Amino acid sequence: METKQPNTSLYRTVWRWHFYAGIIFAPLLIILAVTGSIYLFKPQIEQVLYQDYQEVVPRGDKIQPSQQFEKVKELYPDAVVTKYHPGESASRSSEVSITSNDESLTIFIDPYTGKSIGELNDEDRIMDKIEEIHGELMAGTLGDRIVELAACWAVVLIVSGLYLWYPKKKQSLSGILFPRMNKGKNILRRDLHAVPAFWISAGMLFLIMTGLPWSGFWGSNFQSIATNSGSGYPPSIWTGSAPTSSIKTKDIADVPWAAENLDVPISDIQGFIPLSIEDVVMIANREGMHPSYSINVPTEADGVYTLSAFPPKAQDEATIHIDQYSGAVLADYRYDHYGLVGKIVAWGITLHKGTQFGLINQLFSLLICLGIMLVAFSGFYLWWKRKPQKGLGAPKAPQIKNMKSFLFLLIGLGFLFPLVGLSLIVVWLIDWFIIKRISAVKKFLNA
Amino acid sequence: MKKNICIFLIFIFSILLCACSLEKDVTALYKEETPLEAEIIIPASFSANTQETIKAVLTQGGNKVENADFVHFKIWKHDGSLKYSMEQAEKEGNGTYTLSKSFDGDGLYYIKVHASNDGSIIMPQKQFVVGRLSESELKFLKKGIQKQEESHEHHH
Repeated sequence: METKQPNTSLYRTVWRWHFYAGIIFAPLLIILAVTGSIYLFKPQIEQVLYQDYQEVVPRGDKIQPSQQFEKVKELYPDAVVTKYHPGESASRSSEVSITSNDESLTIFIDPYTGKSIGELNDEDRIMDKIEEIHGELMAGTLGDRIVELAACWAVVLIVSGLYLWYPKKKQSLSGILFPRMNKGKNILRRDLHAVPAFWISAGMLFLIMTGLPWSGFWGSNFQSIATNSGSGYPPSIWTGSAPTSSIKTKDIADVPWAAENLDVPISDIQGFIPLSIEDVVMIANREGMHPSYSINVPTEADGVYTLSAFPPKAQDEATIHIDQYSGAVLADYRYDHYGLVGKIVAWGITLHKGTQFGLINQLFSLLICLGIMLVAFSGFYLWWKRKPQKGLGAPKAPQIKNMKSFLFLLIGLGFLFPLVGLSLIVVWLIDWFIIKRISAVKKFLNA
Repeated sequence: MKKNICIFLIFIFSILLCACSLEKDVTALYKEETPLEAEIIIPASFSANTQETIKAVLTQGGNKVENADFVHFKIWKHDGSLKYSMEQAEKEGNGTYTLSKSFDGDGLYYIKVHASNDGSIIMPQKQFVVGRLSESELKFLKKGIQKQEESHEHHH
């Protein structure tokens, strides 16, 4: 097999990078593909898991949200209400999110009876766990950076893989677009990696590029640059803080906490008081929020009520900030108000999550995920079978300085994805200080 | 090689260091609202059965609002025993809209100003005291729960 390929040093170099990047990042890509495949079906899975919490029997009129809040406060006396999600249809329960004893809970309320149907600790939401693995390997910021690194290196794998796959001379399409089944095991093994990899490469690149704006380092910088340029998301949706109430603190009515002091100065009691949640719901209806919206309840004196809806389709998104005392709309950002980059990212996100086009979208993304798993496993298998008894079986390393174009490509990718650049530096340092100096290691790695 | 690494390091770290944050006036690049703002002026001390004037001063985008689409005042007592119907405020000029009222009894009151101008609709509400507070009203205030008896009619 190897003898049939052009034996140029560029080819070997690309192969070598593809080889190492593959071995290091294949396990992570498999984790991402597996968790991603599950998370794609979040709507269906949660529908089954939480059916008992979400379904109610409509009867008569719904009771006021403030009464629902009171019910929650009766059940959880020291809780702070943080979010309210009215049921999007007549047969859906409403959800009141609270923090109580440092725990985030969601209380499901039957809006017709005002009774609590059940509580769910956010920690116990299985799909949130899956998302945590997918986004940060359940390891916080470090995990987030590792996932981002794997995603960026996957781009390197795609680019280098395409180079290795690209037909060097005229040959039939077998081995390029479909595997050669009868040319022996070695050929078949190679084709089972390279051919499906080609087929999924565009989809894989799409999933990586649409997932990256979420990432903690590349993503937040990208979002900030886009927002600063005026072409991204308006502030406060991804980055930046929400506006604050324009009412001065001294004009807000004090709650006389000094319980025993009967002579509360009247001037302190007189003042603005926050809107009732009913008023906020009324404003949400007036402004035409998508029925799936939720209301973030301010916890600070100068905070705002935030209405937000991130429904399945990107073009239905909306974020509205409301002054908690006056009810004035301080900011009203719909999809139409996003900049071009913001719109693209929003579409990318709903496509990545598989919600934009419903089931077709989910199945298509699932196919790509399964493809990524197949390619990662077959790549591993390919290496395992070719591996010599001693050493890793990596292609021989040529002198990198003879590879100007390749070097520039790497540096370019290092710029585009600073984490790749950073990891390249680490690789070089390890190469410089360890591999080049210890002959056993050098031999093992075929450096 | 070493030189390359050095150049590379410098570039990478300069990118890392300039990790971007949002500019202060970035909101100006996107759709902006000019919310209506209301200052509600309530007499410092009220006494029952005398005519008192409540004012609302409306501003929008730093300018006084002379011809608001509507300015309505709604006043009710904390326990719901007294509910005045929604009344249109008098235009006084210079962005000031007023309502004169004589209050029949002491207690804890609420006023809600419904106002609209140039696409911004607001409904700020203020809590105020006429005369003296009753025991139950003091108790209520201390509980710190804002539960007002109010009918939720749609207003336009």
